[in-house]
Amino acid sequence: MIETKEKILTGKKFPFCPGCGHGISINQLAKVLEDLGYKPEDIVIVSDIGCSGLIDPLFATHTIHGLHGRSPALGLGVAMGLEQKPGKKTIAFIGDGGATIGLQHILEDARRNVDMTLILLNNLLYGMTGGQISGLSTRKYKEIIDFEKDIPPFDVVKLAYASGARYAVRVNNPKNIKEKIRKAIETEGFSLVEIASLCPSYGMKKLPELMAVADDEEEFENNRPPTHIVSKERNSLFDRERYFSPEFEAHAGKRTGILIAGSAGGGVQSVGAFMAQAAMLSGMQATMKGEYPITVGTGFSVAEVIADKNEINYTGLDNPDIAVIVTEDGLEKVKHRITADTKVYLDEKLTGKIDFSYKKLIIKPFHALVNRKSAALLAVAYVLKKEQLFPLEALKKVLSDHRLKDIFLDTVARVEELE
Amino acid sequence: MTTGQLALVDGSKIIIEALAQSGADVFVGYPITPSNWTYKYAKQRMPLFLAAPDEISTLQWMAGLSATGKIPVTSSAFPGIALMVESINMAYAMELPMVIVITQRLGPSTGSATTGAQGDLMFLKGIISGGYPVPVFSPSCFEDAWTLSNKAVETAIKYRTPVFLLTSKEMVMYRKSFDLGRLKPLQKHTHQRQITGEFKPYKPEANDTPAFVPLGDDEFSTRFTASTHDQDGNIRKADPEAMANTKRLRKKFIRNIDDLFAYEWIKSGPSAKTLILTWGITTDAAKDAIKILTRDGKNVDLLVLKTLLPVHQKLYDWLDDYDKIIIAEENLTGQLKEILFGERAPGKVTGVNKIGMMITPGEIVEAVLS
Repeated sequence: MIETKEKILTGKKFPFCPGCGHGISINQLAKVLEDLGYKPEDIVIVSDIGCSGLIDPLFATHTIHGLHGRSPALGLGVAMGLEQKPGKKTIAFIGDGGATIGLQHILEDARRNVDMTLILLNNLLYGMTGGQISGLSTRKYKEIIDFEKDIPPFDVVKLAYASGARYAVRVNNPKNIKEKIRKAIETEGFSLVEIASLCPSYGMKKLPELMAVADDEEEFENNRPPTHIVSKERNSLFDRERYFSPEFEAHAGKRTGILIAGSAGGGVQSVGAFMAQAAMLSGMQATMKGEYPITVGTGFSVAEVIADKNEINYTGLDNPDIAVIVTEDGLEKVKHRITADTKVYLDEKLTGKIDFSYKKLIIKPFHALVNRKSAALLAVAYVLKKEQLFPLEALKKVLSDHRLKDIFLDTVARVEELE
Repeated sequence: MTTGQLALVDGSKIIIEALAQSGADVFVGYPITPSNWTYKYAKQRMPLFLAAPDEISTLQWMAGLSATGKIPVTSSAFPGIALMVESINMAYAMELPMVIVITQRLGPSTGSATTGAQGDLMFLKGIISGGYPVPVFSPSCFEDAWTLSNKAVETAIKYRTPVFLLTSKEMVMYRKSFDLGRLKPLQKHTHQRQITGEFKPYKPEANDTPAFVPLGDDEFSTRFTASTHDQDGNIRKADPEAMANTKRLRKKFIRNIDDLFAYEWIKSGPSAKTLILTWGITTDAAKDAIKILTRDGKNVDLLVLKTLLPVHQKLYDWLDDYDKIIIAEENLTGQLKEILFGERAPGKVTGVNKIGMMITPGEIVEAVLS
């Protein structure tokens, strides 16, 4: 007994208008899949919105029916998810309206070149909403309806090819549909088949009329291998975490909030973290927040550090105990946050830049001793030495594990020159 | 008592590690401030990481991956989430598991990308067309970030649904000394196939939720659809079977709301008649406010809501026990307050609200004492 091919279609009546071209493509696809020996469970049909989106019940395969214009993106998600399951095939359908909405998705599919096929049924118009034109309506068709005839359609086949699709083809003659679909299905990687389709309700009612207004058939292949999606188990993020067991004794007990204000490239964010970590090495709890412009390479850079022997809940720094200000950018950013209780450590070169009086002001030449990348670190080291919050040795210990430890420790050593 | 694992960590790291340990296996994303750190950590941690070209593609890829059995995660802020909305509705209607981390920032629109906020709760309340509830969990501390990430994955799989983890810039971008040894190992969640009788793609099984059969399954061909559908997954207009299926999308959460509900009480004693109700990042200030009030001899209870949506009716019973209720949240009008009480809250309910900066403990204390 000869084994019968498993039926790809359910045998349900097609929902299309009499004379609609969509049914031809559906039937040809089903024949190709049966000829190639696919079972319904091997196939996922991804459908869009519009007349071409009515196809789910026609297929005995897996189906997924989403949003307008998104089937190429939804289909790519499916195709990537099925990468680890050999023998499965993802086939997405879209109309010319959907292709107009989701053009970028098609280009992305082509660029990624994951194994899937997109069948674009181009009837030159929006059949479900009254025959409006799409981005794929051809100029010859638009001459007939006398609307936007000077605006060319997207050549999606060429665009997909230019974006890296393994195979992209436009078919106008129904006799060629099966052959081109078969080639697309057999292509491993992203393939696009654009098929001219009759719309007897609003557009071309007869095949010769359609052939006369459709853009020319074209066929392209890129010689590039398909992209494979590989999942890999990875180690815990905590595996590379640095832990801080108390080794030093903090001098300060109460909550202390420190603002460190400088400029991008001045290591402010790193210094803030070092300070928080040094507090932790001294048995304190700590928080660190960074603030900088979206353009991270320029402008101010501010770090807020809070250290407390007790648990820290609220992390706001409304009344900083100490402000370390090493650049003009930093000064501009934090000057309104300085209160009468704040002790300000200011770089000497900013002396002329302050037009108001701070009650507690210490001016030191941080920039005169080290370069702009190290001034914030030197200033913080000086603050630790003077304020006795926790030992300077704790900061040195934090820095001693860093790949730039020589530079950092040398900077901290220069704190002696500030007296 | 420390476990020797005191580290300077941020909430982004804890969330991504927890999601990965809980069974999330692919991150799809488009970077946006302030969710960049979740993106960065996901790239280091997730078994599969996909850089989508935009937020609509992000959600569509996630939906496709989810339909094949993956548990996808993304993170974004309002401008990105807004682009995802139609696709989130699609995933909700298809009943596809996924976790969406929102890092709230100051709006409207692009607003201020690096300023925190709690302004997206109202948006999530109405995000599904028709007013259907979607689970929203909001961590108030790093322990929550750990356990609620696990609960988000569990809920997404168990109820086949998108789940939101509503964080804020402050939660995901500040670093804090934290003993990682306090985080208990997490249970990994996976799809369980339990089918009674004949398989139908949308026939309700346990928890009023259909059994999950992935696309590409060798045993059954299955269907997913975002359009109104019957149990077979075929598109229907408003016929009884299709309407029952649509109503089930709400029912599965409301009937199982005890399973979704997470909260934390800090009670000062049986006699407290004043309650501070809060969520998310304002919890830190509320906890400090309670400390100050307790020190000053005031009896005030604190209730931290961690499951914000859907609202559990039990909450109203609890609130009935208080003469004065302070609802503190970092937004202009009090979004939780409005969700609970509408535009005119009872006289005993006061909001502590602010935009552009975190609410301080002092502001909450002041509201309690006034």
